[in-house]
Amino acid sequence: MQQYVNVNIDGAIIRAIRGTSVLDTAIEYGICIPHLCHVPGLTDIGACRLCIVEHVVNGRSKVTTSCTLNVEEGMVILTSTDKIRKLRHNLAELLVAQAPNSRAIQDIAVRCGVTSVRYPFRNADCVLCGRCVRTCTEIWKARAIGFVGRGKDRHVDYPFGIQPEFCKQCNNCIQICPMTITPCNGPMKPGEEYLCGQCESQLIVADETPGSCVWCELGEGFACGRYA
Amino acid sequence: MSPLAIDQILDGRRSQPDQLIEVLHDVQEKDGYIPEEAMQAVSQGLGVPIMEVYRVASFYKAFRLKPAGKNVLTICMGTACHVRGARLLLDQATGQLGIELGDVTPDGLFSIERVNCLGTCALGPIVTENETYHHHVTPGKLRKLIDTIGGQQPEETQHAQTQ
Ligand code: SF4
Ligand code: SF4
Ligand code: FES
Ligand code: FES
Repeated sequence: MQQYVNVNIDGAIIRAIRGTSVLDTAIEYGICIPHLCHVPGLTDIGACRLCIVEHVVNGRSKVTTSCTLNVEEGMVILTSTDKIRKLRHNLAELLVAQAPNSRAIQDIAVRCGVTSVRYPFRNADCVLCGRCVRTCTEIWKARAIGFVGRGKDRHVDYPFGIQPEFCKQCNNCIQICPMTITPCNGPMKPGEEYLCGQCESQLIVADETPGSCVWCELGEGFACGRYA
Repeated sequence: MSPLAIDQILDGRRSQPDQLIEVLHDVQEKDGYIPEEAMQAVSQGLGVPIMEVYRVASFYKAFRLKPAGKNVLTICMGTACHVRGARLLLDQATGQLGIELGDVTPDGLFSIERVNCLGTCALGPIVTENETYHHHVTPGKLRKLIDTIGGQQPEETQHAQTQ
């Protein structure tokens, strides 16, 4: 039998299923917490940090990722305070600087209020969210890809860099990768990049609806509450 | 590494995934590095997916995935050695041997490594050559050291040979 706990998210008292994460609960209830590495049904690893919230305990608040935080009785969560918005803005800015050539990443950045970037663009083709690795491991049970190396050398790869024969070629790793949702087709001159929004990311409507939920294309893949 | 040696290492530890790191250590001890076939065998023996073995082996600095050179030059890049010019030593070694940090010369004679402090800061900059410590090393001293080990060859021929 399912057990329930009462949690307070942004002032709303929510009856949440015990054992679920704060992020899942909030989405279920229609409170959008921006997130990137979370995929319903896969283990959460807290890789992207976008889903940070303030967890208030005894009048003190701790900033932590809501996807890796399980609901508890009497919990108080704030998802959109000035402090959180500022931190999240910065995280999203770093993320989009790492990989601006993906509409999905631009969308999520716009959702976090980023319209321009102060950091040098890296034009990388991976943000190390681990969505591919987890779908391969947990859904397809193939373990054909994984994280290799550490620190700045960390990357996703096959064992020894060669596609193994036990890869099921399901392509799920590619479909679920945020880099593949409308990738940018016109890379700019290195050093002169900016967020152009040519991929029709939500950047074009950012002025009218700053920081609000923008029906990002990501939501679908994420099974965001709005698509449920 | 022979299948026999692997068998010996795996003996008594088969089907125990939690022994992964110990087994990898033993493989490295025996061979100086962890060859691909050994990882495959370890994966089979312990029942750990090969991806996991590779991930772990590539994660820890203690494991090397390529064979080391006969003489491993380890340059200390810790704070104390760094401020005394360890960077120049690294440039000297890579330039003279024509290889990058972590690589092996084609003749298998040298490889270059770095560490972050060997605990003898007062004597820095430190370079170790296999197990031997060299203290207060300068680029000049290092050049001579490499020349000596490389068989008293002057820099040019040494260089030509490694190409
Ligand atoms: S295509 Fe291969 S690597 Fe990708 S998820 Fe499927 S089994 Fe894993
Ligand atoms: S390849 Fe894509 S899904 Fe995999 S970690 Fe990188 S960005 Fe994430
Ligand atoms: S969704 Fe929580 S850290 Fe990425
Ligand atoms: S910094 Fe080189 S020995 Fe400590």
